Formats: sequence, C-alpha cells, structure tokens
Amino acid sequence: METKLLITAISLTLIMSGCADKKVSTLDVADNTAVIDGAGVNGEGTNSYGYDNVDPYGKEYSNSHSGNTNLGNYNDNTLYAETAGGVKNIYFASNQYTITHDKLSTISSNANLLKGAVNSGAKLKIEGHCDATGTDEYNYALGLKRARAVKEAITSRGINPANIVMVSMGESSPECSSSFSSDCYAKNRRVEFKVVQ
Amino acid sequence: MRYIFIFLVFTFNLLAVDAVLTIEKDVESKTSLSIIEDTNTANSTQKHQKMFSLLLNDIKMSGHFNVDSTARRGSFDEGMIPPELHDREYILKYSYAPSGTKLDVKLLHVLDNNVIFQKGYTVNASARYPFLAHNAIVDINNALGYDDISWMSRHILFSKYISSRKSEVLIADYTLLFSSVIVRGGLNLFPKWANPTQSAFYYTSYNNFLPTLYRVDMASGARKKVISSEGVMVCSDVSADGSKLLLTMAPNGQTDIYEYDVNSGSKEQLTKFRGIDVNGKYLGDESRIAFVSDRMGSANIYTKSIGSYSVSKAAHYGANNSSCDAFGQYILYSVREGGATNIYLGSANSSYVRALTSNGSNQLPRFSKDGKVILYIKQNGRGNTIGYMNLATKQNSSYPMINGQIQSIDW
Repeated sequence: METKLLITAISLTLIMSGCADKKVSTLDVADNTAVIDGAGVNGEGTNSYGYDNVDPYGKEYSNSHSGNTNLGNYNDNTLYAETAGGVKNIYFASNQYTITHDKLSTISSNANLLKGAVNSGAKLKIEGHCDATGTDEYNYALGLKRARAVKEAITSRGINPANIVMVSMGESSPECSSSFSSDCYAKNRRVEFKVVQ
Repeated sequence: MRYIFIFLVFTFNLLAVDAVLTIEKDVESKTSLSIIEDTNTANSTQKHQKMFSLLLNDIKMSGHFNVDSTARRGSFDEGMIPPELHDREYILKYSYAPSGTKLDVKLLHVLDNNVIFQKGYTVNASARYPFLAHNAIVDINNALGYDDISWMSRHILFSKYISSRKSEVLIADYTLLFSSVIVRGGLNLFPKWANPTQSAFYYTSYNNFLPTLYRVDMASGARKKVISSEGVMVCSDVSADGSKLLLTMAPNGQTDIYEYDVNSGSKEQLTKFRGIDVNGKYLGDESRIAFVSDRMGSANIYTKSIGSYSVSKAAHYGANNSSCDAFGQYILYSVREGGATNIYLGSANSSYVRALTSNGSNQLPRFSKDGKVILYIKQNGRGNTIGYMNLATKQNSSYPMINGQIQSIDW
C-alpha cells in the first residue's frame, strides 16, 4: 500500500513538474475586491460603517478625521468629592460585607463627624471598594454590599439617609497597589466616605 | 492516531505584543498548505513581516490545515508552483501592497493548478491590517467548505484599568496587533456589544454621581444614556436580537439582576435576594438565565427560568465561582481553587464538567458567537494575556498585553 502511494506521489510530482510553467487564467481582481472594514463579520466586505468616526485618536486617523474631534472622549462631569477630615475608612475581611464589632467605634466616630454637614444638606457618597480577588462584576456587587452595610450603620446613628448615595468602585481604586500580599489586599477591602458639597 | 505538539513563539514588535501559539494537531487528517508571498510587492517592512505571521497564525488557529512555516516568495500572477511544493494540496499566494491597506490572495489547487479562490481586501487605515489576514483566511476556509471560523474577523471589546479610577475602552482584533481606544476619560467599565453585527456597544460610566449605562453607535459615535442606578450598573448580556438586556443594578441599594427592554425602556426584576446576584447570562431560547449568586454563602453559578422563583445550582464543581458565560445550554465558569483560578465548562441541564485550564489565574471566560472558541484572560502578575481555546480543533493561542489590567471583555 505504501509502495503504491509512493509511486503515485512520484508520478504526480513528475506530471506537475511538467506543467510547472502553465499559466493560471487571470481573474479580474478589481471586480472581486471588497472593502472590509469594521466588523466584517463574514469577511464579505460590506463597509457598513467607518471606524474613523469613532476612533479619532488613532494615529492614522487624527489627520483625516473631519468629524467631532471630541468623539470618544466622554469625560463626564467627574465629581471630585473630598474625604471629610477625621473620618476613617472601614475595613472588611476577605469576601465579607459584615461590619465587625471592632469597627463599630469608628462608625460612631464617623457619624458624629459627618452629621452636621450631611444633615445640613451636603451629599455623602459612600464608596465600597474591593481587593483584586474574584472577578470584577462580582467585586462591584461586593463593594456595594459593603457600602450598604456602612450606610445602615451610620444612618442608625443619626445621619439623614436621604442625603446619602452609595457607589461601588470595585477594585478600580486600590489603597495599596504595591504588592499582591494579603496585607496589601486587606487595605483595599474598605468603605470610604466622601462629602459632596 | 498520532498527535504532534508544536510550540511556536512569535515575537511581534509592533505594539510590543508577543503571541504564543500552542498547536495540537492531527497532521495526517488535515489539508496541507504552503504560503508564497508575491515577489513584486514583498519588502522588509515590519508590517510585511507580520502579514506572513498573521496569515500563518490564522491558518493554524483554524485547525483545518497542516501549514508549513517557511516564508517563500514567488510570482503572484503566474501559476508556476515550485517542484518542492508539489506534495502539498494547496498553495496560498498573497500580495500585500506597499500602502499596507490592500491584500490580494489566491488559493491554488496543486494537483490541477486550478485557482480555487481569489479575492482582494482593503482596509481604510493601515493600522487595521490584521483584518486583511483574518478576513482572507476566513474566506479561504469557507471556500474549502470547512467549519466556519468567522470568529477571527470579529472585534474584541474590552476595558482596562490604566490608573486609579481611570480606565479606557478599546476595540482590537483577536491577536491585539490592532487596538484602538474608543472611550477615554475617567472610569468607563463593562463594555458589551449591543448586537451580533457589533455596530453599537454599551458601557457604564462611573463619572457621574450615579453609575450610568450608555449606548454608543459605532458609525456616528453618538452616545445615548440608557439607564442609571445607585451603587452598581453592569450590562451583563444582550439578547440575540439586541432587544433586551440583562443588567446588574441596585436601584434600591440591593444588587439584583433585571431584564431591560431596549425599545420600551421598561425593566423587570428577575432576581430578588438579600445577598449578591450578578452576571446574568441568557440560556438557550432566552427563557432562562445563568447567574452568579452568594445565596449559599459563597459565589457560585445558578440558573432560573424568567418569571419563576425556583433557582437551581448549575456549577457542579468548585465552591468559589464568581464569573460565568453561557452558550445554548453550556456554561463557562471560573473556579477559585487553592491559589489558582481555573475555567470549567459545564451544562445547565446535566452534571457535565470539563476542566479547560489547570493552573494560574484564568478569568472572564467568554464563548465566541458560534460557541466553538473560548476567550479568557490569564493574569500574570500585573500583566494580562488574552487566551483562546478552540474546543473543536484543540488549537490554543494567547496574546499578551503590554500594559494595563483588563477589567471586562466581550467579542
């Protein structure tokens, strides 16, 4: 069997060598040229949209882009809330959102410091943060659970809940980013208090 | 059956992306192919060198060819095939224009010297040149009647942290040789394609007082506010027709999963639990969802029918599973076990479990649109690598990013 295959292969090689200079009929490339851009999901070349409209900062596009040069830079009205003086962060155990007893005195102290401003109309932004363990969507939910636990704790100490907003920052803003140690991660599992005037 | 393992390392200088390709293939059952570059257009520019690597990489990732890695040059127009290649079944000839925006390809059947396929491709900016190769190989694969590999031509969409409270949203080809920032400024997270054609996407801006979901049209760049929520806002999944979204939000400070009707703007709460319910994914005909919940004490994967109160545990392995994706009735999920995070494939309808990774930190698994290929993120210290596993052909590849930490990804 192997001998037959070998003979066949040699025969084909000789035949093809003899045909080596045979010219291939030329196809009309121009008619068959497709513009593939953007998704081109099936490579069929329908130029359904031009990415240069949404990609003005690409080096190759910056000179030719004729549209709104701010497209793509959706820098919203970022709020630069400030941490209230004397207010301390509340820290949590790994994957937990329960406030431990040793943090209750800090909760009470924070409530006393924030009460005046918040009950006078200032907005209090409670930010929940996480370490980098776990996936990001779950971490954002975990951060919110931490923020909610702290909100419930300080509103029970006289802070007007109507002036509080909670936001989870997930793992986007670590307090410690110098290592992957457990000590560093412990600093990132926290709730911060920001007063927005 | 004889398996050969070939490990190839490509060093890509552009964008400092190094691609590591691991191939496991059954050589004897695959179509043999060699590549010849047009002598008239060949030159030594970086993109010309990468074009050969891209074509070679795409052909290998298809899993349908036994392609040799030798870079050859010859006439594009003449049908002459070098004698040493007469034992191949097909020859792929290509001509990559000096402009970097045009690629012509021609597939020759060696036995009878017939042109099986010929087509030209252009892109409107040379930075997008990887799509020339991806689209050409998708078409050649289809021309020979093999299983569709059009996942190669899709854009991946991802956000990455660049510093504290700052992130960017980018689009890229699957190899990351092309990438471009499309949303910048502040903290912009959880991008998600709005439809199968990738003509629009959603993302969450954390730059306002409340996290806000936006929809951006790719053609015009126009941005439209969809919905805001206190605490957290994530578009976790989009229905096949793009008309419904699965959102993780907390309008009352409690994180739950909602189904949002794009046309009417109405929303329906799908889960109601005092703990954490996130990461909703449509299953099958979209009458059921898979999601992540800590209702049993730690994060795990559950399923429920929309409109039903009944919840079933879906992950049959692992006790700390905080991320999932779904395709049909199949579920991908990440399992934290010991010091590693691995990806497992399971079924919503059975106890089927298959480990897909065995070590390291592997997260954010995503099915391709056809369910045949799995994308995932491997964390190496502060770096990220985007990995692909072709389950049907056993092809794997990975593409490291030069910097930044991937926050969320879709394709």
